[in-house]
Amino acid sequence: MSARQMKLGLFLWATGHHIAAWRHPDAHVTAGIDIDHYIALARTAEAAKLDMIFCEDAAGLREANVNIASQTSRSIGFEPISLLSALAAQTERIGLVSTASTSYNEPYGLARTFASLDNLSGGRAGWNLVTSASPIEAANFGATGLRPHADRYARAREFATVITGLWNRRVAGHDGESFSVRDPLDIPPSPQGAPVMVQAGASDDGKDLAARTADVVFSAAQTFEEAKAFYDDLKGRLAAYGRQPDDVKIMPGVAPIVAATKAEAQAKYDALQELIPDDVGVALLSSYLSISDLGRYPIDGPLPELPESEGMKSRQALVIEQARRDGLSIRELARYFAGARGHWRIVGTAEQIADELQARFEGGAADGFNVMPSWFPGELDAFATLVVPELQRRGLFRKDYEGRTLREHLGLKRPV
Amino acid sequence: MHLAVSLDIASAAGKTSLTLAEIAGFVRKLETAGVDMVAISDSWPNGAPSTSPFEATTLVAALATFTEKIGLVASASTLMHQPYNLARRFASLDIISHGRIGWNATLRQNPREAANFSRPEGFSDDDFRRRAREFINIVRLLWVGWGRGALLFDKAAGRFHDPDKMHPLNHIGEFFSVRGPLNVARSPQDRPVLIMSGPAEADFDLASGAADVVLIEGQPSEALKVAVGELKRRAAAIGRKPETVKVLATMVLTSEPDADSLQALLESSGCDGFNFVLPADAPGLQSFTDRVLPELRRRGIAGQGQQGATLRDHLGLGTGGEQ
Ligand SMILES: Cc1cc2nc3c(=O)[nH]c(=O)nc-3n(C[C@H](O)[C@H](O)[C@H](O)COP(=O)(O)O)c2cc1C
Repeated sequence: MSARQMKLGLFLWATGHHIAAWRHPDAHVTAGIDIDHYIALARTAEAAKLDMIFCEDAAGLREANVNIASQTSRSIGFEPISLLSALAAQTERIGLVSTASTSYNEPYGLARTFASLDNLSGGRAGWNLVTSASPIEAANFGATGLRPHADRYARAREFATVITGLWNRRVAGHDGESFSVRDPLDIPPSPQGAPVMVQAGASDDGKDLAARTADVVFSAAQTFEEAKAFYDDLKGRLAAYGRQPDDVKIMPGVAPIVAATKAEAQAKYDALQELIPDDVGVALLSSYLSISDLGRYPIDGPLPELPESEGMKSRQALVIEQARRDGLSIRELARYFAGARGHWRIVGTAEQIADELQARFEGGAADGFNVMPSWFPGELDAFATLVVPELQRRGLFRKDYEGRTLREHLGLKRPV
Repeated sequence: MHLAVSLDIASAAGKTSLTLAEIAGFVRKLETAGVDMVAISDSWPNGAPSTSPFEATTLVAALATFTEKIGLVASASTLMHQPYNLARRFASLDIISHGRIGWNATLRQNPREAANFSRPEGFSDDDFRRRAREFINIVRLLWVGWGRGALLFDKAAGRFHDPDKMHPLNHIGEFFSVRGPLNVARSPQDRPVLIMSGPAEADFDLASGAADVVLIEGQPSEALKVAVGELKRRAAAIGRKPETVKVLATMVLTSEPDADSLQALLESSGCDGFNFVLPADAPGLQSFTDRVLPELRRRGIAGQGQQGATLRDHLGLGTGGEQ
């Protein structure tokens, strides 16, 4: 086998990962209603030989405040399973990963849907398991509100057990706390056996579930130390479930801004930052901190003390840690956060970005990266045409697909 | 005169299941022949497992990228889905297909679905019916939660959408609570076409009130005629134009259809056209496209469809929503 190479995913999000992406003069502002735009992005990613396309998802609006929401492009978009099914028909090699919630679906239904996507694509599907942390989503599925973190994960564990059992033809009836399933799955397996399991939980419950069930883990980490700590922690949990370190690929998010010179890249970043309205930045930060009224505090003052979240515990901790570390005001933190929601941001030339990725990859902090272009299509094109060839030159990334299925791209075993 | 073809992918038991390429090729032939829509099944009503490698909504998404005019209908059951999720899926499909999507809302409770979707005890017929009615109502309202022209895309002013044109649903009902709105834009047809197949007498009010297309068994012809009359009468009684409820006679094609008797059935029953059910096997499809379709076209039973850009246009249904 040749030297270890990094895995690269394209993380799709609306008009781009930067909260003000849609206002960029060249951003494709109608992305959320234009299938041809997504077909073009998928083909760009496939031509660059990326492992997969990843669709985030929420079963509801991202922002409850209608005034704030109307200043972002995130309230509307394609439902990801239909989107990826269409892309499956218009691509040949690239993996197709969709998010879906364990809180608002039934395992038999998702098992069928993803098995079908897997068959439509000839074995290129993956499922990003999420427990859904937002009360906005909860309100679309009943009147009882968001269930506590621990309850959501209890349901998610049972969900994962049932769905993998269905995909791997192990289930002969399940009668549990949250679900009952009588029959085997009525959809045959694809060439990769079963869809790839992806997870991004970062709490203790989340990491344990990932260690038990995930093939790929997405994470958010700013510094090398954070990324390394997460990597070692998660890989360290695998043995308890009888798994090898290589059975799980850890792919932190990265939001690169690349240009021919560092100054040019910085200018691109600064121009985007200028497009963020303060109230939008603060609202986005509030939603990840799971507090409703950050706007109440002086915007140029420090972050207040916050109670521990019932939503995304890990991201809250990450943000608080960064504010303390860098001594940021609410405004500064909000602006920084709006660029990539707490993910790692690198601004520089292709060589500089490749250096940084290489350092984390070879330093044992990542098996690959989930690439989060700031706006579409421009920053994806820049990554594909500038950074990918640099990584290929260094032997860090494939020049062509070795296989046909997503499991083959990622070097994963077939499920047993 | 409208023509639908139902492709029963779920029940190809014992045969080699069709590939995506084979299904796409067949649907393209139907498109060329002027068929208004092709409907994809998702499960057997008799409770047997599906035998297809594909689930209907995902298959339809793929088919949308291979076709340009023909309507694409997916079956999806109210037991297997949540209304919010299902409304999103179909609105998204409608955008992907540029307005060619229909939802075939299965009205009969399938014990197999209940058993696999954590409802081992199922619902009583009455509860199932009330639940389906509430479900369908929620979906139809979610589809028009975003007003026309809500998306502004105004980069300079920083307004992506008009907040006053985004309407939450705030539904609190017997079976569901759904705040809304959908996080998918209003779709090209406003509402994807709503199809109901084989409603029981007790479902006729729901069908005549909400459905755009109702599929009724073509035989016996006397029963078809009564159902057509009843559906149109009930639609008129609640202020709908009877011609906006299209009733298609479902015909299971075993051999070549007799065009004379089809013509006679059309005239005697007052139905709006036919829904031909085909088994999903390659020879069956081949014989339909090579032998049956040309005959139907020659007789004027096929070939008048696809009158506009959307499935609603093909069916002469007018717009799918207000606001
Ligand atoms: C790259 C990445 C993508 C994610 N995508 C989604 C998503 O699409 N939908 C969602 O509800 N949560 C998403 N999450 C959140 C995680 O599923 C998870 O809830 C979060 O990291 C907090 O961890 P915890 O659930 O263990 O507390 C994502 C997280 C990461 C790092």
